[in-house]
Amino acid sequence: MKFYVCIKQVPDVNAPLQIKDGQLIQDADRNILNAYDASAVEEALVMKEAHGGEIEVVLIGPEKAKEAIRKALAMGADSGAHILTTGDENLDSYSYAKILANFFKDKEYNFILCGKQSQDTDAGLTGTMLAEMLSLPYATNAVGLEVSGENLVVKRQGDTGQELLEVPSPGLVTCSNDMNDPRIPNLKGIMQSKRKPVDTISIADLAGDVTGESVKTAVLSYEEKPARQAGKKYEGEPDEIARQVAQLLDTAENVI
Amino acid sequence: MDEKFDCIIVGAGVAGLSAAMMLARANMKFLLIEKGEFPGSKNVSGGVLWGNDLAKLVPNYWEEDAGWDRFINHRRLTFLDEESSFSIDFKSSHFNEAPYTGVVVLRSKFDRWLAEKVEEAIAESDFAMDSFIAPNILVEEILMEDGKAVGIRTGEEKFFADSIIIAEGVNNLLTRQVGLQDKYVPADHMLTGVKEIIRFDQNVLEDRFQLNGNSGMSNEFVGFATNGIEGGGFLYTNKDTISLGLVLGLKDLREKEQAPYDVLNHFKKHPVIADMIRGGEVVEYSAHIVSSGDKRVMPEKLYKAGLVICGEAANLLMNAGKAIQGMDYAMRSGILAAEAITKAKEKGDFGEEAMKAYQTALEDSYIMKDINNFQDAVHLLHDPVMTQKVPNLICDFGRNFFSINNEPTPKSRTMLRGAIKRHASYWELFKLGIKGGKAL
Amino acid sequence: MSTLLTYISVNEGKIKRSSLEVLSRCNELAAQHGLKSAALVIDADPTPAAVSLKQYGADEIYTIQNPIFKNHLNAPLLRALSTAVQQIKPHVVAFASTEGSKDILGALAANLEAASLADVSEFELTDSGVKAKRPVMASKIISAVQAEGTPVVLTVRSGSYDVVEMESAATVEAIPFEFGDDQLQITLKEIIGAAGDKIDLSEAETVIAAGRGVKDEEARKLVDELASVLNAAIGASRALTEAGVYDPSLQIGQTGKVVSPQLYIGIGISGAIQHVAGMANSKVIVAINKDPDAPIFEIADYGIVGDLYKILPPFIEELKKVKSN
Ligand SMILES: Cc1cc2nc3c(=O)[nH]c(=O)nc-3n(C[C@H](O)[C@H](O)[C@H](O)COP(=O)(O)OP(=O)(O)OC[C@H]3O[C@@H](n4cnc5c(N)ncnc54)[C@H](O)[C@@H]3O)c2cc1C
Ligand SMILES: Cc1cc2nc3c(=O)[nH]c(=O)nc-3n(C[C@H](O)[C@H](O)[C@H](O)COP(=O)(O)OP(=O)(O)OC[C@H]3O[C@@H](n4cnc5c(N)ncnc54)[C@H](O)[C@@H]3O)c2cc1C
Ligand SMILES: Nc1ncnc2c1ncn2[C@@H]1O[C@H](COP(=O)(O)O)[C@@H](O)[C@H]1O
Repeated sequence: MKFYVCIKQVPDVNAPLQIKDGQLIQDADRNILNAYDASAVEEALVMKEAHGGEIEVVLIGPEKAKEAIRKALAMGADSGAHILTTGDENLDSYSYAKILANFFKDKEYNFILCGKQSQDTDAGLTGTMLAEMLSLPYATNAVGLEVSGENLVVKRQGDTGQELLEVPSPGLVTCSNDMNDPRIPNLKGIMQSKRKPVDTISIADLAGDVTGESVKTAVLSYEEKPARQAGKKYEGEPDEIARQVAQLLDTAENVI
Repeated sequence: MDEKFDCIIVGAGVAGLSAAMMLARANMKFLLIEKGEFPGSKNVSGGVLWGNDLAKLVPNYWEEDAGWDRFINHRRLTFLDEESSFSIDFKSSHFNEAPYTGVVVLRSKFDRWLAEKVEEAIAESDFAMDSFIAPNILVEEILMEDGKAVGIRTGEEKFFADSIIIAEGVNNLLTRQVGLQDKYVPADHMLTGVKEIIRFDQNVLEDRFQLNGNSGMSNEFVGFATNGIEGGGFLYTNKDTISLGLVLGLKDLREKEQAPYDVLNHFKKHPVIADMIRGGEVVEYSAHIVSSGDKRVMPEKLYKAGLVICGEAANLLMNAGKAIQGMDYAMRSGILAAEAITKAKEKGDFGEEAMKAYQTALEDSYIMKDINNFQDAVHLLHDPVMTQKVPNLICDFGRNFFSINNEPTPKSRTMLRGAIKRHASYWELFKLGIKGGKAL
Repeated sequence: MSTLLTYISVNEGKIKRSSLEVLSRCNELAAQHGLKSAALVIDADPTPAAVSLKQYGADEIYTIQNPIFKNHLNAPLLRALSTAVQQIKPHVVAFASTEGSKDILGALAANLEAASLADVSEFELTDSGVKAKRPVMASKIISAVQAEGTPVVLTVRSGSYDVVEMESAATVEAIPFEFGDDQLQITLKEIIGAAGDKIDLSEAETVIAAGRGVKDEEARKLVDELASVLNAAIGASRALTEAGVYDPSLQIGQTGKVVSPQLYIGIGISGAIQHVAGMANSKVIVAINKDPDAPIFEIADYGIVGDLYKILPPFIEELKKVKSN
């Protein structure tokens, strides 16, 4: 099977952040492979190991985002395509999907895997937009994947329960990080990754109009979230604490 | 892929990256392994990188506004008692010209930037495809054969090389594993560094500390800073933050039952410090062990056949009051290690003698000369008289000297005598004077 | 006159509260801007929901009925929504943010070539589109965003707006819809473990969340008991859903569900930002953790430092007493 995995490099939400004049500033400039995409890569690797096949990762991003491609290659993906941006285009999910759709137009594949969302923006749009643009059947929020002949059997997490869906090839699946723990590349993987092919594609070749029609949303500014104040800490004798807190929840907060 | 490397470097801190840069330039095939997710990820700290070795590694680094935060042209040593500060302050435009003799760096940024420079150097070398920086890998063992280092092990994987550079930093487990550092290092000679990064509006920071463009200040503190614990304080100006912290004796902390964080809070409440940090927002807190620069904890031998140890893994650090020097020592020792290994490769001999050349070069460098010469200063700084009585005395003198209260003013000599009487016996001071005279 | 269209999510005939929150907001905006607010129910049997909708103030109520909607499947839902949008030509299509709506939001936007905003916590209309706020960076930061064009499709976080009851005189209009099985490329093979009669986590007034500290049967019993005393829904951190201790649909956080109850009690949960992302808007937060430095204490109103095995039994007893008074 030929898998494409769409991967994105995102700022590490654990790194210190600040907002200056409405702009988000990440002092440490720490970027990582989107955790959901790492899970998608992992799942593709497991399927490839069991059934053979090929995995190519695709990333739209600036030069430094190549680190994320290297990471996926070090995990075990076979090759990469890097659609190079300057990083200043202010692209939104819609425009990413458009560019990806143009990329996939003349490609052959069985399945495209995406992350269910970007860790930084939590948008969760690109995958299903891409599916619709390519007229592919799709499933989202996968927590399990299995190859069944030419098809994929997807275990999808819904609101209350899970659904077992069979998606035909070619199709698209967006992956949750709840389905696996992505492998950490070992030394051999890192060393091999250097020799794996990465195709660099100019964004201009894929999307003449990305900054026009297809950018439909814009971030105006960023704001601090109103901070929650830490309340009181209760330490000591369990019976006493239990009594105090239970009383307060009733009388002071009126929530029970 | 069982190919053999010329060298495997363990640890992508300042020492390891410096060594890697030299090896890449010398067309060596090497592997640099870092346990953190990326170089710098384990180094929340920062500080002043003294000297100008950086220009040797990255010529004209100052032309790009990356990696480093500010250059130092303003230095201050401050004595604190409970309510006052008395500073020796030196600022000079002499330091404004590149190459600078001190730049402030934040390690997570700096290490990553330097790693990128190393990657560039690798790409230009003959081994563009065969030399690697490998993050997120923990080296668990140095493989030895007949007393010679031959490779490393990580998990199930083994990799082999003609030489190994251990640049693992202060928690030097591998140095111990190969038997170059005593298994038991008395904590008494180790320190702990605690630090906060405090953010300001950049204009406020520049106004408050009289910074201009990329210029910066470093300030060391003695006295009240440490709440009676041996050690000292520091303040460095970064782009729009300051690094404010303390280096404290582990033994003293334990004996006085104080937690480093509480001592730092005590320091921050000092009226003079409080004025400096007002309006700032703490964005990061970190604590880390540091060596004391005390030779008693240093491994005597820094090499074995096929192996050298550099940077803080070898406890190369000095904290003699006027500055903490750890990164510059790490950088120089990394450079020297790489040079020794490059020579060994030319001669095709990585034996014990070839590796000894590294230690010899280190002994001849400013590092070991300074460490040897300033041992007494190191001990002096950790003398309770120095951390408590002297600062109190100096501040007392300052208070009298700078007071004008419409009374006849005594001669300064008289004031000084009064201050000494109140804070230290002449005898203690005399002893200290002798020590200090010898030490500096 | 243009319309603000709210998709009403229905589970076994019952309307989800979060959909009513969105409808209430659309009603308010419609009144402010002189627009119409319309509600749309797509279900195998939309009638009961459409009837109860009359208490919630929509100007128009639309239904699309087809047996295919008995189970959630994205292809027919997408087709149905696209049909409804073509007929109603709304200015905004708004959904409550659920796994169901996330499943089709992007595809619907692409189908309509429309701008879309996911998971907003506030939104309002502009002359040419929608302005909204949405939490980003694992909900540490709020971004103010703008979407241009008509329609704008968006989903709204649960708990962002209050439900306002209001009689409406709307008649129910059924939109014709055909869907052949051959259009359904995906096969639904099985539905696994839908948590039927339990209290819906994302709508619960009280949530008890269990974390890795809830190690064994004994601890789980205590959690159950606490939940039953407080009539609370049980949720969990990823540590426990991943370990298979609690059903994955009970995960609270960035990957899982967003809850905003009156009372959240976290038991043996450290407070990783990805978990906090899903519960920080709770009104009162109580945390029980034996580690005094656990990050959850930075946001807890009542931080109980202690071993859950020692704290929970007397706490349950005290709550029982309080309840019985
Ligand atoms: C609070 C504080 C303030 C300081 N201020 C200053 C200052 O102002 N100026 C100054 O010059 N110095 C300062 N220092 C000292 C300075 O930080 C150190 O001396 C310097 O970092 C030593 O560099 P290094 O490369 O030897 O070690 P490190 O920078 O510690 O790097 C070692 C690297 O090796 C990695 N590693 C360790 N073990 C393994 C393994 N088994 N496998 C793989 N990787 C491994 C680590 O993750 C780390 O990245 C300060 C220290 C502290 C704590
Ligand atoms: C992209 C991404 C998305 C994620 N999404 C989610 C998500 O949606 N939801 C989520 O929850 N996590 C999510 N995570 C994982 C998250 O980062 C944490 O790993 C997880 O929340 C930890 O769960 P925990 O607090 O139960 O476990 P731990 O962090 O292990 O904490 C257990 C706590 O229990 C305490 N404890 C132990 N024993 C006792 C006792 N006897 N009495 C009292 N206290 C005790 C301990 O002190 C500790 O603080 C995500 C991670 C990533 C990278
Ligand atoms: N720049 C990009 N390059 C490649 N894939 C992307 C990119 N942006 C988003 N994706 C894919 O879309 C998913 C997330 O979509 P969203 O949450 O809309 O940003 C990611 O997990 C990726 O699979």
